[in-house]
Amino acid sequence: MKLRGSVAAIAAVAALAALTACGGSSNSSSSTGGSGKTLSADDAKNPKGNISWCIGKDTTGAFAAMVKQFNDANPNAKVKLIELPTSADQQRAQQVQRLRAKSSECDVLGIDPIWMAEYVSQGWLYDVTDALSSRKSQFIGSTIESATYQGKQWAIPFNTNAGFLYYRTDKVNTAPKTWQDVYADAKQNGGLVYQGASYEGLTVNFLELLYTAGGKAISDDGKKATIDSPEAKQVLTFMQNGVKDGAVSHSVSTYMEEESRRAFEAGKASLERQWPYAYALGQKSPIKGKFQIETLPGWKDKPASGVIGGYNLAVNAYSKNPGTALAFAEFVTQPKQQEYMAAKTTLPPTLSEAYDAPAVQKVMPFADKLRTAVEQAHPRPLSPVYPQISEAIYKNVYNALWNGVSVDSALKKANDQINQALKQF
Amino acid sequence: MATAAETVVRPRRRRSGLSERRLAALMISPAVLIILLVAAYPIAYAIWLSLHQYSLIHKGLSRWSGFENYSTALWGDQHQAFWTAFKTTFIFTFISVGLELVLGLAMALAMHQAFRGRGVLRATVLVPWAILTVVTAMTWKTIFDPDLGFANTMLRALHLPGGHVVWLGESGYAMAVMIFADVWKTAPFMALLLLAGLQVIPEDVYDAAKVDGATTWQRFRRITLPLLAPAILVALIFRTLDALRVFDLPYVLTQGANGTTTLSLEAQQTLVNNGIIGLGSALSVLTFATVMLVSFLYIRFVGGNIRALAED
Repeated sequence: MKLRGSVAAIAAVAALAALTACGGSSNSSSSTGGSGKTLSADDAKNPKGNISWCIGKDTTGAFAAMVKQFNDANPNAKVKLIELPTSADQQRAQQVQRLRAKSSECDVLGIDPIWMAEYVSQGWLYDVTDALSSRKSQFIGSTIESATYQGKQWAIPFNTNAGFLYYRTDKVNTAPKTWQDVYADAKQNGGLVYQGASYEGLTVNFLELLYTAGGKAISDDGKKATIDSPEAKQVLTFMQNGVKDGAVSHSVSTYMEEESRRAFEAGKASLERQWPYAYALGQKSPIKGKFQIETLPGWKDKPASGVIGGYNLAVNAYSKNPGTALAFAEFVTQPKQQEYMAAKTTLPPTLSEAYDAPAVQKVMPFADKLRTAVEQAHPRPLSPVYPQISEAIYKNVYNALWNGVSVDSALKKANDQINQALKQF
Repeated sequence: MATAAETVVRPRRRRSGLSERRLAALMISPAVLIILLVAAYPIAYAIWLSLHQYSLIHKGLSRWSGFENYSTALWGDQHQAFWTAFKTTFIFTFISVGLELVLGLAMALAMHQAFRGRGVLRATVLVPWAILTVVTAMTWKTIFDPDLGFANTMLRALHLPGGHVVWLGESGYAMAVMIFADVWKTAPFMALLLLAGLQVIPEDVYDAAKVDGATTWQRFRRITLPLLAPAILVALIFRTLDALRVFDLPYVLTQGANGTTTLSLEAQQTLVNNGIIGLGSALSVLTFATVMLVSFLYIRFVGGNIRALAED
């Protein structure tokens, strides 16, 4: 009997742990619609008081330098940097927790463009359309696109990113001009690697081809899925054939960014789809001097495209000091600061002119190509249910590529799942 | 749990102050309060959330939906995902806990022998258990990297089969790696629990058996196993309930691809990644209910058998 009692107690406690580990938290309030709060350029004119800036980990010290420059230039205001974790999912979780609790702690939010639609729908962001209007033309068009939802701007483009084609100059003679050439080269000379694991990265890799081929994941009004299209079928069949005929090895099914970078650097492939960060690392690897990078290619006779990444700065609707928050976001997106940031972090700036600065050209010899890559790219679908859209894409594309599911049924399923997500109230 | 209270010796009345029973209740109350606060409240809250639907589009909009989230998970739109995860979780649990029991018992028996360096061995064996599961998972992920990983490099160098298998990229193999990583990490824990059980078995029972001419196998079967049964049961419950909740391994190794999405991972993806609070909470409540049910089954059936065995 004694044994029974203690075992029951242990079981109960362990079972409780199962639930508490999974338990989520949320807050339900009763208002509806966006925040209805707007900021104009005038609001930023007289920065004063304390604010905080919540953004991913400051690995290069560049964010701290921005804060210092702003504080020095504005003696009445004081910005505090709050570093969030390195992983994007964790950053979002940390921000959402605070926003659900209506916390004013993060006055300036460093957000991935794919979170923005959700934040806007929940009324968590200030509308900055007016504040941004006079400066819009200074930014690369696609970066403004990534800060736009339902015709308005909700953030100031801070840094950006776009995919590149890395190729071995000793194995591939010239940079391929189309994806068809990429796969043909890969089949003949040592293969192509990309981010083919079942995660966000695969969504990006698939959309890059889909956008180039002229397809879209959801309609422009964001109301229905458009992924069961002839373009998507062409692209997925093309990718599937690449796997079948050996242009892409099965190993790619486990690759995220770092795995593909390591494989390329170890000479396991002659072509790689990768972000620009791998360029500097490649210069320190065994393939130093044997590779080049090029903007992503076109699709048959269609022009090149891509998918935009990066971070934008938004103002928390619960901020007690939104004017200063806006002033800070404006400050760090001026040419001087953008050049400093780009040179220090090697993250692509959002201002077009920053790419011409000698300091930027020096750390990023491919700066001109980078600007082209960003210019030709487009954001991922802007929708409050983006996580479900992306999941529907990467899970079904994964099954079509690696688990023998047919293109038609994979895309139909993805389309149904996206529509289901969009139907949610 | 009520049965535990019944076994308490009836308190004798004291001449003054609180009765022993009252005193006991008073002294446990802070702990009970804390458990209520940190465990019962979140559970009740999760159940409450699971009975609602929360809007992803409109701010703060939510509606009471009764058991709709449960029907969605069990036989509605999401039933395929739920039952696949359910099956995956049980396959993982059954195989990994089975292997851990056999290996753990073998390790415990070996460590129980008196020999030089026993202390060092016991400490060494526990190293895998001391490493965080996430770190373990990252390590195995690197080892099973298809091109550059240690496993395939070794297999190829030794001309053994499997050197070109994409371990984490194929169903079956991916599950095998997950089980392997779990067994590697937790078999030592099983061994430790069983070793503790072994050490309370008095030596003279064995001596008596030897005098009576019992073989090694008979001593193991008739003495060790029955007397170890309570420890085995506790170890099994611990491991089973842990395995049913497995999250870190598939999260790191495969992100749930190739048939490795477990119940906890499914719940986490729905709740945290996709932000579907109602359905996600329903999934975690279902996971909780599953774990609870399994533990009661354990105590009812396995527990009963082992006691019968022990009383033999």
